[in-house]
Amino acid sequence: MWRIWLLFDPRRALISLFTFLFVLALLIHFILLSTDRFNWLGGHAPSSAAAQHMSTLPAAPSQ
Amino acid sequence: MADERRSLSGLTEREAQEFHKLFVTSFIIFTVIAIIAHVLVWQWRPWL
Repeated sequence: MWRIWLLFDPRRALISLFTFLFVLALLIHFILLSTDRFNWLGGHAPSSAAAQHMSTLPAAPSQ
Repeated sequence: MADERRSLSGLTEREAQEFHKLFVTSFIIFTVIAIIAHVLVWQWRPWL
């Protein structure tokens, strides 16, 4: 497997790989930010039943 | 120098093996971090 570096120049391969991963990460993060459920910066609360149930839990009794 | 044949990329076999070791190590570290991040996001809000 290491013989791949006899074919491809490591410098170009690394620059290409880092560029690709950076663009991919940027794309995925912006896609997630554009959704309601996976926007971690404020946004709306998740609309699942479990989350709604969690928000209606009674408060602990005070003594 | 005379015994080390240059390849298409300009690396010798020894240099290629050395770089490959570093590359694989980095890839494993990157993958472990990515798996941890996905586990944390799944605990936050599962997507399936």
